[in-house]
Order: sequence, then C-alpha cells, then structure tokens
Amino acid sequence: MERNEFDQMLRNRLEGVIEPAPDVWEGISRGLARRHRRVILRRFATGAVAAAAGLAVAFLVFRGPQDTRQVTAPIRTAQAVQPVLPQETPDAPVPEVAPIATQIAQFTKHQVTAQASVPKPVVPETTQDIPVQPSAVTTEPAAPVTPQEETTPVTPVSEGPQLTQDDLPADFWQEETPRHKTHTSQLSILSNLTTVASDGDLMYKASPMHSSSQTGTRATSSVEPVSGSPKFFSPLSLGLQVAVPVTDRFTLSSGLTYSYLVSQYDMLVDKVRYDGAYNQLHYVGIPLTMSWHFVQTPSFGFYALAGGAVEKCVAQRYVFASNTLREKVGGLQWSARVGLGAEYWFVPRLGLYFDPSLVYFFDNQQPLSIRTQQPLQARFEVGLRFKL
Amino acid sequence: MRDSSTYTEAELIAGCVRGDRNAQRLLYERYASVMYPVCVRYMGREDAKDVLQDGFLTVFDKIDTYKGEGSFEGWMRKIFVNACLMRIRKGDALRFTEDITEAPELGGVEEYGVLEQLGTKEILDLIAQLSPGLRSAFNLFVLEGYTHEEVAEALGMTEQSSRSQVSRARSLLQKKIKELYNGKK
Repeated sequence: MERNEFDQMLRNRLEGVIEPAPDVWEGISRGLARRHRRVILRRFATGAVAAAAGLAVAFLVFRGPQDTRQVTAPIRTAQAVQPVLPQETPDAPVPEVAPIATQIAQFTKHQVTAQASVPKPVVPETTQDIPVQPSAVTTEPAAPVTPQEETTPVTPVSEGPQLTQDDLPADFWQEETPRHKTHTSQLSILSNLTTVASDGDLMYKASPMHSSSQTGTRATSSVEPVSGSPKFFSPLSLGLQVAVPVTDRFTLSSGLTYSYLVSQYDMLVDKVRYDGAYNQLHYVGIPLTMSWHFVQTPSFGFYALAGGAVEKCVAQRYVFASNTLREKVGGLQWSARVGLGAEYWFVPRLGLYFDPSLVYFFDNQQPLSIRTQQPLQARFEVGLRFKL
Repeated sequence: MRDSSTYTEAELIAGCVRGDRNAQRLLYERYASVMYPVCVRYMGREDAKDVLQDGFLTVFDKIDTYKGEGSFEGWMRKIFVNACLMRIRKGDALRFTEDITEAPELGGVEEYGVLEQLGTKEILDLIAQLSPGLRSAFNLFVLEGYTHEEVAEALGMTEQSSRSQVSRARSLLQKKIKELYNGKK
C-alpha cells in the first residue's frame, strides 16, 4: 500500500509545524561543557603521553654506560707471559693453575669474566681491573720457550702468589649497588587533575574579591561576573621537578609547574551581559615539597609529603560571543599541600608515581576560579620519575 | 549583544563551528520549537525533551560536517530523527517484527474533514499514542517521505513488515481521530 490521500493530508497538516519547546538549554550547556572538558583532557593526555614517551626514549638513548660491576681478570697467555721453565725439566708439564675466574668464584658471587680468548701483550693498566697479582694465573699451559726468546724476567706461574681473601678489596664482599637507591636525585615529569566539587550549582555575588578590576591591571574593557551558576572545569597542570635527598628518608623537591584553569559564567563586559562566557587563567608556579619515605623497596616506595607552592597568573583571557579580552592579573597565589605518595620503579632508573593530596589555596585576591570558590581541593598527581 | 534574529543562519553555523556558546544558544533558540514536534512524533511528550537535548548536542558536535548542501533545517531534522530512532532502539522498542495483516482503512471523506478540524498538537499527541514501532514506521514513511525499503533498513525489518506497520498505524490513527472527533461533538 502506498501513500494515500490521508497520508498527504496529514503531511500537509504537520508540515513546518512549530510548537514551543521546553527549555533544555541548561542540559545542553552542561553537555557541551562536559564535551569541552573531554576534548581538553584528551589533548592534555595526548601531550603528556607524548612528552613522557619522548623523554623516556631520550633517557634510554642518551644515558651513559652502566656500572655492571663485572670483574675482569686479564689473563696472560703464553705469548704474553712466556714464563721461564726450569731447564732441567723441559718436558715436564706446566703445573696446573686454577683460572682466576674459578678462584674468584670461590670467594664471591660476583660475575667473573676471563679474557682468555684474545692474546694481549701485558699492559700494566689492564691489571688494575682487579687488585690481584695478574701473574698468578694462566688459562693454558705455557709453551716451553727457550732462554734466548726470553726478554723479560717473569716469575714462573707456579711460583706466583695464590689469590686469597685478603687480596680482595674491602668492598668486594658487599652486594652490588642497589638498583633502586633511594639516595639519588630524581627528575619528575608530572601532571595532575583536581576534583571539582562545585561544578554548576554555585551561586555567588560579584564581590570585589573576584572582580578582575581588583586583582589586576585593567584592560580597556570592564569585566564583572554576575550572579548565576558558574561552572568550573577541572584544572590541569603539568610540571617538571627535581628531587634531592636530604637524608636517607627525606627528600626535598622543587621545580616549575604550569596550570590551566577554565571557568564559565555570565559576565558583564562594558555593562553588556554575556551568558556563559569563558574565563581562562594560566598560572606558572614553583612548588616546594618535602617527602618522608616510610617504605622503600627496590620496586616500590611509599611516602608522605607536605609542602607549598607559589604561583603567578601569567595570562587571563575572557571569551564571549566570538570576542576575546585579555587582562593582567597581579599578586601571587600561595597554597599548601599535604598528602601521600606511591612510586613504582619498573626499570632501574624510570618509575611512575601517584600522589593523592589535599591542597589549600589561600585567599590572595586572585580572579574568580575554582580556587577561589573551593579553596580546599583534592589533587591527584601522576607522573614519571627518573633517577639521575 | 545582537538580537537572535539579526544573525544569519550562516553566521550562527560559523559561530557554532568555532564552539561559540552564544551562537550555539541562538541556534538552539531558533530551531528548538521546530525540532520539538519531530521529537514528540517519535517519542511522545514524555521522552521528547531528552531527545531534544541529545539531538542538539549531536548537532553541535557534527555541525562542522554540514557543507551547505541542502537546507540546514533538513540536515538538522535528519539528526533529530536519528536521535529518536537510536533512543527507541536502545529501549528495544522496535522488537515487533511480526507481520501484521494490513488493516482495513477506516478513512473516508468524513475522516479527512475531521482531520482538518483537529489542531496540530492533538494530531501529534495521537501519533505519539501509537506504539514505538508503529509510530516509527509511520513517521518515516508518511511524514519523512522514506520508501518502504528505506524504512525497513532504518528499523531493521523487512519491507513487508514496514508495509504492515504503516498500514496498521494508519488504521489505528484514523480510528483515534474518529474517536476524538466524536468525543468532541
């Protein structure tokens, strides 16, 4: 059955029909804000991962030679040593001497490599690899040589001193250097997210404290927030810090951080009202944190931390109805922080860390943001940590 | 700030592509009352509000893909129809694929005259009273101008099912119109 007259009539009646719709703009606005936040987060995460990957690759490529703690025992070969054998026993077999590797292995768990494959001339420097008498051993029986061939008097192998425990260096019995030495300076690349509990439902007044005119040098236009329901996006931060051990368990860290804060609220610009305009704040700061490591294992570490930061707003921008307006912001933002942290070293010099903490932002006459509305915030900092 | 009516459609679209919240709001104000009846036809008044919101979010999300081919309103309408169908599918309301014997048409000249006397709001409400499956097929075929093949593809059914659903919906609608008119008299 195809379209009939009834269908056509119905279609004509409903063609271009208009009916007042319920106001769903508030929900749409919230949805758009969520999507905007997701886009920012995605870009931020992509940037952070790219930066971390780049640094990790750079670290792996450019790191210096590692101390493998291999003990190298130079072995004199027949050509090099050319021991003088007693004349009266020219056919007698050369006394068996245990290779130095075997001797050392009797004393230590350390890996020993005997360089016996390539004959080398005796060079004094090479004997410094291990403080034992290099002439004490040989890997193969020395070939009998005639006295004419002898150029340098060398002590016969069989008469050389045997390797004893006393011949080893004092620290030879110590374990290898721990892979995860805590007493090491560290470099951290961090990013953090802060929970925003006041998204959407706050009412506030345009008080002088939050007025941009109070806090910074006024641009040509006047901007004032007006009562409404401001929305605050989760602040994003990136940073680079260096941690220096103070004692075995205490570490002091500092560096440079960048934070990006976005708010959305209704504002008056030169007495004209704009709904849902954006305010963007860019802060650069210097944190100072003391950490106390109460659990330290080669792979894991747990610590408590306390500290503070001072930040300077380096740029403020309003975005409304396709226009942008920049304003300077004076003063500094001070904050204090306490929290706990955990780190995991997945390779000897590269690890991940996670620092959940509480941050309190002091009232320092800064522009309206989540920091002025919600001074106490939970922060989740994650990052990569490198041992220098 | 300029009044909503002073912005051209192209200006609003360009503003929305930039993510300008003001332009988005003006676009919403201009088209909400046009798209709302579409949502009511498919979803009924109760759920139309949610789909109206979802539809506008999708419009703002995809507005950069609108290349100016065809009317913007038509482009938006397609998005809203899809949003409605997605919502209906999510609720599994389209699981009705049994064929229904084509219902006898009740319509006559009198009923068509009755139709003229009903308000659009009443007609929308009558359509909304149909089951989700019936009204989806009926809306797509009668009001959006889809062929049965296209309806079948959109709703995941056979062409025969589409014919059956449309026929059944038409029959029920005519009956409801008649009842409403008789009740009014």
